Order: sequence, then structure tokens, then C-alpha cells
Amino acid sequence: MNETLIAMRGITKFIYGSDGKPIRNTDVKILNGVDFDLAAGEVHVLVGENGAGKSTLMKILGGIIPPDAGELHIGGQKVDLLNARDAREKGIAFIHQELNLCPNLDVAHNMFLGREPRRHWVKDAATMYERSSALLQALSCDLDPRTLVARLSTAQQQIVEIAKAMSFASRVVIMDEPTASLTKREIDVLFDLIRRMRADGMGIVYISHRFEEFLEVGDRLSVLRDGRSVGGMRMSDFDPDTVIHMMAGHAIDEMYPRTHAVQDDRVLEVQGLRLTPRTPPIDLTVNRGEVVGLGGLVGSGRTELAKSIFGVRAFAGGQVRYLGRDTTGWSPGRLIAAGMAYLSEDRKTEGLVLGMNIRENTSLASLSSVATLGLISRRKEQTQAAGLIAQLSIVAQSAEQAVATLSGGNQQKCVLGKWLSTEPRLLILDEPTRGIDVGAKAQIHKLIDQIAGTGVAVLMISSELPELIGMSDRVYIMRAGAVVADLAAGPELTQEQVVAYSCLGER
Amino acid sequence: MAKGAKRPFGAVPGRMAAWIGRHVSFFIFAVLAVLATLCVRNFAARDNLVIILKQSAIPAVACIGMTMVLMTGGIDLSLGYIVGLASIIAGILAKTLLLPVPEVVLAVLLVGALIGLANGLITQYLRVPAFIATLGSGYVIYGLAQIVSQGSIVNRLPKGFLAIGRTDVLGLPSAVFIAAGVALGFHILISRAIFGRQLRAFGFSPKAAALSGVPTARINVLVYAISGTLAALAGLLFTIRVNAAQPNMGGGVFTFEVVTAAIVGGTSLFGGIGSVAGSILGVLSIKIIENCINLLGVSYHLYLAVQGAIILVAIIVGNLTHHRA
Amino acid sequence: MVIAHLARRAALFALPLVLFLVMGSLIPHFLDVSNLLNVVRQSSIIGICAVGMTYVIIIKGIDLSLAGLLAFCPMISGMLMLAGVGTVPAIAAGLAAGIGMGLFNGLMVATLAVPAFITTLVVGQIASGLALIVNGGRSIGAFPAGFVFIGNGTLLGIPLSDLILICFLALGFFIQRKTALGNHINALGGHESVLRQEGISASRLQFFVFGFSGFCAAVSGLLLSAQMDTVHPTQGDAYQLDAIAACIIGGVDLAGGRGSIPMAVMGALIIGGLRNALDLLGVHPFIQNIFIGSVIILIVFLGGVVRRRNELATRGTL
Repeated sequence: MNETLIAMRGITKFIYGSDGKPIRNTDVKILNGVDFDLAAGEVHVLVGENGAGKSTLMKILGGIIPPDAGELHIGGQKVDLLNARDAREKGIAFIHQELNLCPNLDVAHNMFLGREPRRHWVKDAATMYERSSALLQALSCDLDPRTLVARLSTAQQQIVEIAKAMSFASRVVIMDEPTASLTKREIDVLFDLIRRMRADGMGIVYISHRFEEFLEVGDRLSVLRDGRSVGGMRMSDFDPDTVIHMMAGHAIDEMYPRTHAVQDDRVLEVQGLRLTPRTPPIDLTVNRGEVVGLGGLVGSGRTELAKSIFGVRAFAGGQVRYLGRDTTGWSPGRLIAAGMAYLSEDRKTEGLVLGMNIRENTSLASLSSVATLGLISRRKEQTQAAGLIAQLSIVAQSAEQAVATLSGGNQQKCVLGKWLSTEPRLLILDEPTRGIDVGAKAQIHKLIDQIAGTGVAVLMISSELPELIGMSDRVYIMRAGAVVADLAAGPELTQEQVVAYSCLGER
Repeated sequence: MAKGAKRPFGAVPGRMAAWIGRHVSFFIFAVLAVLATLCVRNFAARDNLVIILKQSAIPAVACIGMTMVLMTGGIDLSLGYIVGLASIIAGILAKTLLLPVPEVVLAVLLVGALIGLANGLITQYLRVPAFIATLGSGYVIYGLAQIVSQGSIVNRLPKGFLAIGRTDVLGLPSAVFIAAGVALGFHILISRAIFGRQLRAFGFSPKAAALSGVPTARINVLVYAISGTLAALAGLLFTIRVNAAQPNMGGGVFTFEVVTAAIVGGTSLFGGIGSVAGSILGVLSIKIIENCINLLGVSYHLYLAVQGAIILVAIIVGNLTHHRA
Repeated sequence: MVIAHLARRAALFALPLVLFLVMGSLIPHFLDVSNLLNVVRQSSIIGICAVGMTYVIIIKGIDLSLAGLLAFCPMISGMLMLAGVGTVPAIAAGLAAGIGMGLFNGLMVATLAVPAFITTLVVGQIASGLALIVNGGRSIGAFPAGFVFIGNGTLLGIPLSDLILICFLALGFFIQRKTALGNHINALGGHESVLRQEGISASRLQFFVFGFSGFCAAVSGLLLSAQMDTVHPTQGDAYQLDAIAACIIGGVDLAGGRGSIPMAVMGALIIGGLRNALDLLGVHPFIQNIFIGSVIILIVFLGGVVRRRNELATRGTL
């Protein structure tokens, strides 16, 4: 009916090891033979849980990364994209979540950066402003192109980016979670824009997990799960339960260790905490020996909550009570001394000091325990490091090996080792098994269970549904900065339920 | 200072390169010592070696402080001017006001500490980048030194005061031993103490360090205070050595020499990497070069230019051998 | 907010005027024509340096090699002139030296990621050392009349120094506001990754910026020596601080991306006027430095505060 703008066939992307080489001989891939089409004059919604592969697929379409296998056809012709610029020249524009504008330049100068029109060697500012105005007008936006981008709201910046994309005569526009920071009215304006682009014969890929938005603006949707396309539907046939079922998948026969027992003493109590002045208050508790999972989509505020508890992020109201004391405003050092530990999401920049070796990294949070009179005892430190290497099965030549040369799994074990050395009473884990091979994952799961068994309270943020459900005694689900569910482990705690709460905020 | 600036050549250096990188200061020193002995007459004469030691003592003291600042990824461009201020204050207190020696020493070190503290507070809490903060404060300090001195030099200082640095011990002036003691103390602090480990972690990765409980703000301020104190100590010893207190002592040239020595000694501009031992070897290395230039009759001004070339080479070598994530 | 922005600009323009009037009322002879001409002559040296420095600060760098270049470049030209080489080729040699060292700074920053403050500090030191070596630490002077005329002559009643300053002001302004290059430089200081995505080479921009700064330093140094008919090997030390101060007073943002050349030149006039006034009052130059050093720290601090307040205001989402 309408011409096919884009056809992606059998797109595959492997996971890459720390040595930079792809891991081919495994079923676990970032993308596994995915097909994706886009026709002219349609909005194709792309849906999937965290880590399903949506971003990767679109990055391939946008020319940012190459596929390891598969083909991309643009306008019926097979194409190999060299880079993002190449993609743009072939008519594909990518509107990222983090906007790609220079805040210190005005709108017109941003839009024409790199292709400033000239008249006898001189930059033709008048033409720039004229053309920018025209482009913005075409989107029903009366922004003054002389405005500094730093003064624009997120929504306005987005429109500028869209206008910029349009100025390249794009036929395909990829939008990654475009409504994340927009108000209701701004979303309406955006949707108007999208409808107009659609009417002009453009094809739009719309990545989102906001169900209420799909219906308004989408024509059809496709679901990705674990790197595969699991199906789609026309928007006229939309049924939220079916989509959730497709996103969540079926139960996996994995056994998660569960030998620990929840005790009655409360270790952590978050009362009425507001992540920002505009988000609702959060209440959360973790008991001794309890593994509490924290689920939700990326951007729902899980890491922000963890960092607020750990004293590295200021919050807008409420309090954190740890071991019965109000620890609001305590520094991380003070909290660590009191037994709190936080294994952050980004192990390379926040978990490990990459210039140092295993021994130095694992002792960093517990230096006083390996020192006498302020001087570090090399012997004590080596003993501690050796003990951790053994306990955590860290694969390394010795404790003196630089952590930068370890694999992802072993790096994560180092960070875990660092926190275990502090003899924590509350262990906060942020995506503890992300980017780690299966063997190491299982080991870490066993360790978490053992740690909880010794009476440590564990708060675990995870985007992997089987892990979240399998490891936790209880699961909180966050959405848009609020806790929308508190679910106990049991046969009713299914992946579908988690996805439903994450996306819809309700069952 | 661009914290977290990326290294341009590849990711992890080979094992060989990394090993060289860790011991580069020793290699440079050894090569220079050998070359000098072979190529320059009278270099290895005992009297000449003593001169080199004596000349290295005072920059070594200041270099230790600068090394610590560089290890956090910062810089102290006011160091040389603190030397001058310390000098004139020492002179006035010792001679004009005839204060007892211990009080003079304490007062001078305190001045250095306070100035360093101010530098640290401005850098950490006012968020002014270190190079601008210490550039500005350097000029302020220089002006203060000029005001305090009222344009004149204080010389012929009291014997008791001079004795601190001039007492002969085993053929060397006591100043050398003071420097050695300071070096030893800070070597232990940086390589063995908790503070040193935290300092290195902070220098490599401020975020990871802060999340591991390292008191990053306190350390950042402290290193500048230490640098200021050691700069003041250097000024004190300089004054004793030349028996004259003057506000122009040290200056920008001295700051530059100290930075050169630190970098030749293996300190990385990006933070995290550095050592007292390395910096001492760095000071000795450039003093060897200076000594040879003197012995060979080459103009001192050429040496200043050569110093620049040395630091460039050291930076390039450092970039190739330092791992930087 | 737009009004505040405009008001700030207007204030910066009016400030030197107000300052001069105030100083004129307090200090005898300050507003004498001969004195004012002197002020502008002095300011032209600072101003030309500030033009080059503005670009460097915009791309988040700093140029600490000014002091050395201000002495070394005229020293080269001076020695060539005294050796009989024609004035024009001698000047060209001095300019080449400045551009060359500036390009070297650019090389270190672009290819080795050496922080700008270190590489310019080093190059400055090398230049200072060379300035001292080349003539054994002695000053030179008594240059050909043509050269001296550049520094002291007038054209249609306007001192040549001022005309040269105006030329550089125009050139700097033109590049920044009227060329694509200027847009790219601003972008480099604003959001480097966007620049790279558009396929623009950051390295080439860095080469240009530092080379241009070296060029400005060379011109300033030559002009200074033309004015004094001397090259003193340490003549540059005083001007480095002032050039940086001029940019900062002129609102050039140390965090990068924002800076206006006319404002920086305005800053140079303010500094020049301030120095002149303090000289007339008998305040020692070193004490003047205390004042200027403190002002720099204060302005940078305040700028940082304002910037953080703006950042917090626009945040509000998770």
C-alpha cells in the first residue's frame, strides 16, 4: 500500500567481551535475527523491557553501530551505513533522549552547525535565521531562531532537533522516549507534529513504554524481548494484556538459590521520600535477612532512590531511617562506617578505580580494617584480598593484577568484594549482574543468597525480570519516581505482573 | 584541569610499557647519572656530587607538596610565590623582630599552611579551577610579599636562625637532612598510610573514590595546605642558605622547576600516579642537568629553555606509559 | 531573563565609561587627553592579547605562554633588525615565531591531550628562556625609525597602536560572529560531541585557536617594543595576568563556550585604565597585582555561582 521506507532483516548483534571481541557461541545475543519494517506515512511503535534490544536496533538503523549480521534496506536498496552522518544523508534522522544541541549557541546556529550558508566567505546569518524560522514554522513552532538553546525548555529543544532533522530532508525519524520530560500540553504539541510528519509521508519509529501514548499516535507496534522480535499488532487491534504477555515472556526454568530467611528487625525504612519536589512520596522497608527487589523501567527513579539513601544525592522531602536512626544528610563515609554499602550501576566509573589493582580496590572502603595506626599493613591487605579472591572465585593471576584487565564478571566480583569487606548490614545492589557471563551471574546470585543468610539486608535493583522475581522476597516496582507496587514473592508474582506495573502503574 | 581527560593512544599499555612507566624516574636518573659521569669532566668528583645534593634539597621539599597536588589532578601555580613570602616573613621575624627561632619557624610554616588552605578552599568549595585560583592567588601573594618587604632585603640573619639549615652534619648542611626527613615522612604517608591510598584513588577516579567513602573534599583542600606549608619550608631553607630574605625568592621559575621535576619523576598530570621517591629522583635528575650545564659553561638561560623541552618529553613518555581509563 | 542579559551587556559597555569618569573625578590629570591616549596605548597591548585569549578560553583552555612570547618574538625581530635585516622581514620572522609556538601548543592539546595550562606554561617558559639566551639577557633597542613609528606614530590623528587594536578587534569579531569557523569554535567550547557528530575536526580548531593566540601575542610583543623602542627580555611578565583579567572582566566564561571579543577588549580598556589610575595614585604595581588577582578569583567564583544556579533551575526531572 504505502512504500516501504526501511526493511531490516535478520539483524544480529553479539555481546562483546572485555577484550573487545564478540562472543559468538552463545544463545545470548543483544539482537538475534530481528526483522523490522517501516512504511511511509506510518508511526511504528517499538516496545520492550529494559535490555530487550530496542536501543541497539535503532542505533544500527541510525548508523551509530554496525550490525554483526543481517541486512538493512533503505527504499528497497541494500545499504551499509558508515556512521551517523551517513545515515542522516540517506534520510534517517535520530532524535536521541539526551538532546544533541550546543547550549551556548542559538537555535539557528545549532541547526546549521557544519553547513553554515555563506555569501562571499562571510557567514550568512540572515539566511540562517530565515531558513530556521521557516523550518520551525513548518512545525507550527514560532520560536525565535535567535534564542539561545540553553534558555529553551526540553520540549522546545526537542522541536529544534526535529526541525533540524527535517532540514536534512529526512524520510525516517527515530524517536527514543521523546515524552520522558514533557508536560501534557507539550506532549500534545509533539503528537500534532508527529501526525503532520506522518501525513507528509514520513515514517516514524517511536520507542516508548507508555501505553497510553501508543494508542494516540501509533499505527502499529512491534515487541522485542531478549533480542528477538516476538510479534506485533496493528494499533486497531491493541490489547494491553497481550502486549504485556509478549514483553514478559514465560517463566524460565532457572532455579534461584533461596536459603536465607527473613527476620523481623527493620534495617532500612524510607519514609515519605520525594526524589524531586514534583514526585510523590516513597515508602520502603528492608528487614534483616531480606532480599528486596526494586523493579521498574529505566528512568523510573530506582538508581536515584538508591543514591538518595546512600547520601550521594539530595532529595526533596521525607527521611531515610537506617538501623533506627535518621541518616538524612549523612556522608557516604559515615554510612559505610555504619554498615551501609552501595554497589553502583556503573562499575567502570563508580565502582572501581581502574588505575589500581584488585588488592587496592577491594580494600578501598575498608582501609581502617587492614591498617594499624593509620598505616596500611600490606600483609593484612593481601590476606583480605586473597580471601576475597577465593571466596568470590575471582579469576585473576594474583591480587596485584590491574582491575582494568579483568573480565566484566570478575570486575563486578571485585566491587562486591570491596563491599563485603566492610561487613555491611545493608547492601544496596544496582544491577549486580548486568553485562556478566552466565557462570558469574550464578555465582553472584549464590553469594547474594548467602549474604542475606548471614542477616544482611539486601536491596537489589534489577532490570532482569527472572532475576528480580527469583531472588527477591519482596519486590517494589517504581514508575516515574514513585513506588507503585509492593509485591510479595509467590506464585502470583509473575513477570507479566512486574511489566504491567512498570508500564501501566497498575495491574 | 581536565579531570578525566582521555588518553590519546589506546587503552591499556603493554606490560613492558607499564613497568617502564612505573620506574621511569629511576631510568631517567640512572641514564643521566651515567651520561654525566662519562661525558662531563669533574662531574663525579665528590665535591660536585655534594653540591648537587645541596642544591636538590630545597626544591625536593617543595616538589613533594606539588606532587601531591598533581596527584589529585590539580596544580599549584602559587608555590613559587609562597616561597618568596615565606622568605621575607622569616627574615623580618628573625632579624627585625628578633623572635626566638622556634617561633619564627612555626609562624612561617603557619603562613604557608594558611595560604595553601585558602587555595584549597577556593578550589574545592568555590569551584574555581585550580589553575586560575592559584594563578590569581600567586599574584596576590607576590604583591603581599612586596608590601611586607617594603622593597628591601633582609640579610645577615641571626646565627641561631641560620643554624637550622647550616649546621654541618657528616659533611652536609642540616638542610639536606631536613629535606630527607620530610621526604621520608611523606613517603610513608603516601605509600603506606590510609591517606595516601585515598589520595591516589581520588586522583584516579573522584567518583569511585567518593562512593567508596573517601573524604574527597577534605583531601582536595588538604593537599593544597600541605603544598603551601612545604613551599614555606622551602622558602625558609632557601633564606638560610643564602643568608638573605627577599620577596623575589622562588617565583614563577621555581614553580616551573618543581613541576618539571615532579613530571620527570613520573607524576601524571591526570592524577592518581606519583610518588615521593619518583619526585626526589626527578629533582636529582634536573639538578644533574643543571650541574652539567654549569660545568660545561653553557648559559643558564639555555637551561631554562631546556627545562621546557625536558618536561615535554616527560609528558609524552608519561602519556605512552601511564594507563588511563 | 532576556532583559537581565541585555542589561548585563549594557552594563559592561557602560562600565569603562563610568569607571573612567569616576577615576577622572578623583584623580587629577587622569582625564587629560595625553593621559587617556596613554591609557589606550597601554590597553592596546593587553587588548590584542585578549582577542587571542578569548578564543582559547572559549574552547576551555588557557594560554600561559603570553609572557614568554611577548618577549621572545620581538627579541627575534629586534635582533634581526639590528643585524641589518629589513624591518618587514624582521617583523615577519617575529610573527612566524609566535604562530609557530602557538601551533605547537595546539599540537600538544590536540594530539596528546595535554592540558592547555601545562603546555602553554611550558612553551612560555621555553620562550622566556630563549628570549634571555638569544642576547645573553641584555635588552636591545634603537630600532629603525619605521619600526618605532608603528608604536608611536599616528594616522589621521589616531595612534597607530589603537588602529592595530581596532583591526584585531574587528578581525576577532568578524571571525567569531561572521564565519562558520567562529560557530565551530563556540560549539567546541559548548558541546564537543555534537561537533564531532557533524564531522567537524576538533583538532583543526584547536590548532587554529592556539596558533591565533600565538599570533596575537607576537603582534602585541612587537607593538610593545615598537612603543618603547626596546626589547627587554622580561617585558612580557606584566601583561599575561592583565590579558586573562581582561577576558574575565569582559565576561568570557571559563567554563567554555561563551565569550565576546568586543567585551574582552572592553575588559582590556578597564584594566588599562585601572592600572593607569593606580599608577597616578602612586600605588605600586605589585600591589595592583594583588587587586587584580583577587578580582579574577572573585569574578570566576561569582560566574560559577550564577551558572550553577541556572543549571539547578532548568533541572527538575529525575
